Parts: sequence; structure tokens; C-alpha cells
Amino acid sequence: MEICPIIELRDVCARRDGFEALVEVSLSSAEGEATFVMGGAGSGKSFLLKTAAGVILPSEGEVLYKGKPMSRMSGREEAAFRRDSGFVFQDAALWANQSLFENIALPARMHKGEWRKAELERAVRRAAEAVGYSDDLGVRPAELSSGERRLIGLARALVLDPQLVFMDDPAANLDEAAAERVLDLIGDLKKRGRSIIAVSSSSDCVARFADRVVALKDGRIAAAGSYDEAVEWSDPAALSITGRLKGRRAVQPAWAASLAGDWARTLADDSFVVPEEGDGKDET
Amino acid sequence: MISSLGRAALRSLDELLYGLGFFVRVVVESFRLVARRRVGRRVLVLQILFTGIEALAIIAIMAVAIGAAIIGIGHSLPVDFVKSQLMYTILIIVIAKELGPLLTAFIIIARSGTAIATELGGMVVSHEIEAYVAVGVDPISYLAAPRFLGVLVSMISLYVYFNVFGLLGSFAVVRLFMDIGVGEYFRSLFAALAPGDLFLGLAKCLVYGSIVSVASLHRGFSVERAITEVPVAGIKAVSSSFMLCILAEVVMVAVQYLG
Repeated sequence: MEICPIIELRDVCARRDGFEALVEVSLSSAEGEATFVMGGAGSGKSFLLKTAAGVILPSEGEVLYKGKPMSRMSGREEAAFRRDSGFVFQDAALWANQSLFENIALPARMHKGEWRKAELERAVRRAAEAVGYSDDLGVRPAELSSGERRLIGLARALVLDPQLVFMDDPAANLDEAAAERVLDLIGDLKKRGRSIIAVSSSSDCVARFADRVVALKDGRIAAAGSYDEAVEWSDPAALSITGRLKGRRAVQPAWAASLAGDWARTLADDSFVVPEEGDGKDET
Repeated sequence: MISSLGRAALRSLDELLYGLGFFVRVVVESFRLVARRRVGRRVLVLQILFTGIEALAIIAIMAVAIGAAIIGIGHSLPVDFVKSQLMYTILIIVIAKELGPLLTAFIIIARSGTAIATELGGMVVSHEIEAYVAVGVDPISYLAAPRFLGVLVSMISLYVYFNVFGLLGSFAVVRLFMDIGVGEYFRSLFAALAPGDLFLGLAKCLVYGSIVSVASLHRGFSVERAITEVPVAGIKAVSSSFMLCILAEVVMVAVQYLG
């Protein structure tokens, strides 16, 4: 039986300020897979991510979620897609006129109307703790450092424990501890079979988590393949984007906290080895 | 030359059609906001507070000054303006029918039109609008509809305040020239007031309120990426609102007096 990709782009073109930001981009990401998009500045990778997430509409082509074109989704189907997906913005994109609590709570208010106040508060606090933010949630985003804002943006994306997470360079410009915590969270998402579509400029992050790698240049896909294929890429155009990717190696993330079920549960197994072969879903 | 004129005309037509479509969408979402309990109600309350309540002082001062000016100017005329029924007719025409709605709209343009356009423009630049879309919140229903309704409600409330303060201001000045009781003054005033005058004033409020809110929302959402576009959006919101309100006034006056 053919497995339906969770997200698929078919011949997508998109324009920005009169020029082509994406040109005939076709790619798909299977359920539970981590697809990482790499590319230089202005290559269109953030645009690609937003188009895949249905935040920006393509001028041509189609974006499909579980085989259903987003342009033909009913209101209910679109709400289900939004509930089951989260988006982490590169610059956090927090709502400046709302408190941190309200920022994290809004997705739940939208999609979990049945939740009582206590449930909502618990989910918001868990999400904030999961990203390592334990200070006052009553303040506005302007009072935080840019790194803290990005952590709150991550908490907002994860508050409903989505099946699919879009991430725009999630660990960039963070201090070492915060970056490590974000990477731990990505690892945890992957371990729990969540689908990830991310943009990353860090080859270490890609080496640690990617099942598939897409190299983007001037809005076009220069190369795409599994991580193991990407390691073998010899095409100069692709290499100029991804650099020479390292082979899989064992990494030791600090699995301090988990988002699984009860957010406070600590994983017993704190070693994580990405397999040499296969689809990258078999972790030991 | 002709082809560039043609292109400009097509662009304008395209923008007009887009604006009309945007207007219809905002109106539909506003009805939904009223019909159902939705998260945009907090935004609606804040908009009414900013546009309707915080503008009270400036509206009151302006209305009192205009009411007083009408009596002052009338008193300088050779006819016995203050003692004639003409004074009441002119007060109703100027305050309730013509200047009241227009000046109220101008104050809302200056305060709220710029605020709406620049706030939304800033939200576009900081990707806050995209963040709303990403969590499944429709920016039109959550951001545009409450602002549209808030401006309409505020416009009508401020128009009522303008009438009250304008007529009270004129009464204060009339008292300087003749000994007239408040009861007699308002009896004569209401005798000159036809129900159609108030209806027309309210209709104008709805038209101007729709123009100001939709033009400002449209300009705010039109910002694309750069922070430098934000003040430009504010300026464009003001200029297009002024222009469209005056155009609408001309059309309505033509229909009213020539039709």
C-alpha cells in the first residue's frame, strides 16, 4: 500500500515582491520523517517552509496535507490541520500586545475550546517548562531577550503536542544552553514519531536529526534525498549549499525532559544513536 | 503614453475590485463576530475604548467651539439671527446633518485610521499576522472585523456626543445675546429637527465609518516586509480615507439636495 506523505508540494511556484521566490518546487515528507531544508541567504527556504505550512499561498502548484490539497480544504479540515501542526518562526513572531501566557495559550483557546481554565493553564505551564522557561508568564514579549522569545515561540508551537512541526532555523542565534535544549526537544519530537519539516543552517543539527535533506538555491531545489544520500553528494552546486555533511554518528543529547504524554516525564533512556542505515526512525 | 495610462487604469480597477472584495469579507466576518462568541471580542472592546472613549474630549471641545462659532457668526449678520427660527435650522443642518458626521470622521481618521494602519503594518513586518494564520486564527475575523465594528460603533457614539456638545455650546453662546430658557431653546431646536435629519446623519456615520476602517485595514495589511513601509501605510490610510469620505459626502449631498 502506498504511504501518503504528510506534506507534499507539487510544482509550487511563489512570487515575492515581483520575483520568483520558489520555482517549480516539488517535495514530499513522510509521516514521522524529519525533512531539513538547507540553503543560503535569500534562497527561499523560509518561504518554502511557510508555503508548506499553508501560511503563504503559492501562486502556482499545490500543497497537500495527507493527500488533500490545502486550497480545497473545508473549514473543519483546515482547523484540524492547524490543530495538528505547529510552526516555529525564526524571529519568534510573538504577539507583542499579549502576555507570554496568552501567546502560548491562543492555539489551545482556538482548538481546545472544551478545555477548562485549569487544563489550559497546566498545558501552558508544561509547554513553557519544556522549553526551559520558568519565569513570569504575565509579562509581554518586549521584556524578554531574543533567545527567550524564541523559546516562547517554540512553546507556543508545541502547546498542543502537534503531529507535525514546522521549524524555521530553531536553534540559530541561541546561547549554548538554550540551543541544546531546543535540540533536545527536536530529538524528543523525533523519538515520539512526530513529523518535522525544518529549515536549518546548522549542518550539526541536520546531521543529528535529518531523515531527508533538501538543498535549495534561488528558489529551486538543487538536490534532495535521504540524509545518507546527501552525505554522498558530490555535485558542487549541492555541496556549496550543504557543505560536506558528516556520516551518522552517535550523539548524546541531554534528554532532560520529555513532551510525551505527561510533559514532566523524564526519559529513562538518555542515549540516542542515529542509525547508519534506514529511514532514521529506529532509535536505540 | 496611452498604454501606460491604460495600465494605470487597469491597476486602479484591480485595486478597486480587491478593495470591494476585502470590504465584503470584512462585513461578512463582522456579522459572524456579532452572531457568535468569538475571540475577537476583546479586540472589539479595546477598539471602542480607543476610538470612541478616548476621543471624547477632543470631540466635545470641537463641537462646543463649532456650535458657539455658528451663533457668533450668525449674530454678526444684519438679520436678527439669534431670535429667528433660522438659527435652529442652520444649527441642525450644520451640526446634525453635515459637519457633525464629517468632522467626527476626520477625528477618527486622524486618531484611529493611522493607529489601525500602522499597528497592522507593524504586525505584518514582525510576522505576527503569519503567526495567527499558522495557529488557525483568521486575521480578517480576529483583527479586521472587531476593528471595523469598533470604528462603526465609535463613529455613531461620537456623532451623538458631537450633536449634544455642539447644541449645548451654541446654547451657551445664545444665552449671552438673549434671555432664553433651556426648555424653550431645545423645544425650538427639536421643532426644526426632522427625523430624516438624524437618519441621514446616522447613515453618513455608517458610510464614513466603513470607509475609514476598511481603508485603514487595507493599507495596514498591504505592508509587505520593511518597517519603513509602516509609516507610509499610515499616511496612505489617512489620505485615502479623507479623499473617499469627501467624495462620499459630495455624492450624498448631491443625492440629498439635487435628487
